[in-house]
Amino acid sequence: MIQLFHVGKTYPPDYRALTDINLEIPAGELVFIVGASGAGKSTLLKLLFREEEPSTGQILIAGKNVARLNRRGVARLRRTIGLVFQECKLLSSLTALQNVALAAEALGVSPRVSRIKAYQLLRELGLRERYDAKPLALSAGERQRVAIARALINEPTLVLADEPTGNLDADTADEIMRLLLRMRDRGATVIIATHDYGIIERYGTRVVSLRRGVVADHGIWSPTEGH
Amino acid sequence: MRWSLVGFVLRRVRSSLRQLLWSHLLTAGIMAMTLFVFGGFMLLETNLQKLLKGWGDQIQITAYLSNDMAADDVRDLIQRVQAMAEVERVRHTSQEQAWRDFQAALGTQSGLLDGLPREVLPASIDISLRPSYRDGPTVEPLAERLNKENGIASVEYPQEWIERLGLIVLVLEWIKWILAGVLFIATFFIVGSTIKLAVLARQDEVEIMQLIGASEELIQAPFVIEGMIQGLAGGALAIAGLGVAYALLQSEVAKMAGLFAPLDELRFLNLTSLGLLLGTGWLLGAVGSLVSLRRFLRTWHASSARA
Repeated sequence: MIQLFHVGKTYPPDYRALTDINLEIPAGELVFIVGASGAGKSTLLKLLFREEEPSTGQILIAGKNVARLNRRGVARLRRTIGLVFQECKLLSSLTALQNVALAAEALGVSPRVSRIKAYQLLRELGLRERYDAKPLALSAGERQRVAIARALINEPTLVLADEPTGNLDADTADEIMRLLLRMRDRGATVIIATHDYGIIERYGTRVVSLRRGVVADHGIWSPTEGH
Repeated sequence: MRWSLVGFVLRRVRSSLRQLLWSHLLTAGIMAMTLFVFGGFMLLETNLQKLLKGWGDQIQITAYLSNDMAADDVRDLIQRVQAMAEVERVRHTSQEQAWRDFQAALGTQSGLLDGLPREVLPASIDISLRPSYRDGPTVEPLAERLNKENGIASVEYPQEWIERLGLIVLVLEWIKWILAGVLFIATFFIVGSTIKLAVLARQDEVEIMQLIGASEELIQAPFVIEGMIQGLAGGALAIAGLGVAYALLQSEVAKMAGLFAPLDELRFLNLTSLGLLLGTGWLLGAVGSLVSLRRFLRTWHASSARA
């Protein structure tokens, strides 16, 4: 369960990125955070994985106040979160398999087990033939799938995806979405920040709409009936 | 840290050494250059110490003996003086020897001594002092004590020279520490900046490790180990460079040119100094990496928070 109580974020000198956000996201749900550029979507995600601290209010993840975590606590929190970014953030010197396995090895999983898990995930994501390729040799969609495999290898209970389908063609975007839905079906909470309303129309679910840092709308999107 | 994580750190180090070989070599090279200067200074200091010791060896107290002393009494006196804590060694000069030495010193003018009795020059003992007692405040009371010994008629010592040597040693000691401090700080900053560049080149790796929840120790450990390896390599290269420079100075070519005749007696760094140089490299690499990485992480956090 993720709870946000009166959360605000102000950047110096006085830019208010988020104002009085109140949200409750039950475990195992898929939620879209939508809004135009600068609406505060990425800031909200950054607050959730404690890249930043809220200026006001409280964020509770599984009952723990995220703002009060020390460095070790932040590292522990992030081990339960799978992060997917538009820019993928892969290490160019490593192969797809090594990039994915790195996330497991860094948490103490043996190299052998990490590689087996990484290979299984890449195979599941349709990258069976591309596991040995380096990021520069992969297409944008393949790179995004590698990033998703890395986010999933430690079986996170929360997946945060910031514009995961940006820069991707419709087919690849659908493929990525199906993967994230599969994660939701396995019990993880999935939060996706996007400005792609087409995706929301196709995968209607709970939607939080942000406008200039404020929750403008909040509800269930039905593909047939709309919001 | 768990064993599996130790293995992970070592694999990261190995992979980094392989993938960023030139960057590591550059850092080790810059460390070698700064450590070479540091080692060169140590070499200079070692040889200056040797020179000072040579000068110090010349500081002697000469005690002139009474003419009526029996041979046994002279032997007893020498034993008593030799037993003193300040005394390194004692050399006895008999009246006969003193006469011959004086004759030799006069050279062609030794005829001036014709007609003089040989007993005119007294027997003496030359007392060399241990290095730590070769200063004015020690020599003066020792000379007074010797003056009170039975059989010693008078005592002489080069008071002005001792004071001058003491001043030279003091000035050199100060220069040594100031230079060492300046060199160490300069080395630290140069190495720190070089490592900072190496860390910047790997900021993606650091960022990803943070995002997947790796602990700070796990993120820092490979950098610190790499810093240690670079420092040791830099130290070893500096020692090799110093060895080459030392060999060149002592080479036949230098001797033939007649430029460095006194360098025949040059001495290379001892094992302790070599260990110190390697240890300094090791420490600089480790601390430089840690400080640079922490500073980078602070800056990175601040800039990403503003983004």
